[in-house]
Amino acid sequence: MRYNEKELQALSRQPAEMAAELGMRGPKKGSVVKRRLVKLVVNFLFYFRTDEAEGGAPGVPGPRGGGPAGSALTALSPQPVGALLLERCRVAQEEPSGFSISFLEDPERKYHFECCSEGQCREWVDALRGASYEFMRRSLVFYRSEIQKMTGKDPLEQFGISEEARFQLSGLKA
Amino acid sequence: MQGVCVVLRSHAPLWAALSQPCPASGPLLEVLGETMKLNQRSVAHYAMSDSPADHTGFLRTWGGPGTPPTPSGTGRRCWFVLKGNLLFSFESREGRAPLSLVVLEGCTVELAEAPVPEEFAFAIRFDAPGVRPHLLAADGPAAQEAWVKALSRASFGYMRLVVRELESQLQEARQSLVLHRHSTWKATAGRCKPPAPDRWSPGLENGHSLSRDCSPMGLVEEGGSRPAGRGWAEWELQGPASLLLGRGQSPVSPETSCFSTLHNWYGQEIVELRHRWQQRAQCSQPECEKQDRP
Repeated sequence: MRYNEKELQALSRQPAEMAAELGMRGPKKGSVVKRRLVKLVVNFLFYFRTDEAEGGAPGVPGPRGGGPAGSALTALSPQPVGALLLERCRVAQEEPSGFSISFLEDPERKYHFECCSEGQCREWVDALRGASYEFMRRSLVFYRSEIQKMTGKDPLEQFGISEEARFQLSGLKA
Repeated sequence: MQGVCVVLRSHAPLWAALSQPCPASGPLLEVLGETMKLNQRSVAHYAMSDSPADHTGFLRTWGGPGTPPTPSGTGRRCWFVLKGNLLFSFESREGRAPLSLVVLEGCTVELAEAPVPEEFAFAIRFDAPGVRPHLLAADGPAAQEAWVKALSRASFGYMRLVVRELESQLQEARQSLVLHRHSTWKATAGRCKPPAPDRWSPGLENGHSLSRDCSPMGLVEEGGSRPAGRGWAEWELQGPASLLLGRGQSPVSPETSCFSTLHNWYGQEIVELRHRWQQRAQCSQPECEKQDRP
């Protein structure tokens, strides 16, 4: 599948919902934990190298997300090692302060993350669970339906978007 | 018709090299460094999944393997599927795997001129410098307009905006409905009148302890750390509205009997509050008078 890396790289530089340095282990058997600057932007989870010798990583905005901040911005604004699209994913808490991300089509294949505290882990799990477009869509359809039941009015009519496919009840997936 | 896709011409030699599909490996990419990883298999599954698409149709597209960097000719006709903020293309409607992906973030969609006259063309242009625009053309003016609209509203941020707007509208609707109900509600014991509306809000807002008492209802645990900058219902809505979107109850199923749950929850709270007022009324006269107000 073709995609433009630059689109994703540009996206990875956008303000993040959550960003922190975490331990990360890929799904392949025998993979080791590596320190990564992990950044949640819309429905993508980007991960950057943190080792300055390897090129550093974009700075973490403030102490948000806990843990030590990544190294300072370098002149070249290094690119992410990779990205995970968070649609149809399952986020599970693992051990006391870790979590894993797996995908519906292959639930045993897990990306593991290690946080520095249970609190930080909780924040990430909650953030990631709500970070998919499909989750937002379901929320929207639910609210729309509830408002309609309570007020008798379709709240989207005033915006002129009530007929948009993306806001329809049929968009709800089991 | 607005601007032409001229941005490519001035960088022709560079674009020739960079217009090749990613993440194919090759000498140029080795020079530039490792390709970025993406969970492509999962992305493809999402594209192929039965979740309804936001828009679909045939479009002509320029750019792709073996094509010149500057759009020319009639382009290649592909089946396009828009899901959320992702635009996929397939060789045909029955395509078994997506050909390409465009991430619709940080971009604007505009009408454009196509290399071939009278095409109903539009372009997806990215704000970030150096990111190549995508030129597409529909079969007719209606399709062109529909695509431009659908793509313009595809960003995650747009959906989030609408969700937040509806969240707050729902909260307002619930609060006003609750207040209306309680102004006519007879207490279960039949004797004490319900409190005045202005006494409700404080009770609900500082209802931390009440929330925790009602844990079997699956309420949100208030307090604790919350991710900054997030607008999800579970964290932003205070009071009863947050109950219904707590971890025990999900907005995923609209069958969640939120209204009867709300009704029951208020029933419990009324009984509790009434006990407290009755206790206080025994101690001080003025408070008892306040209670008698409808």
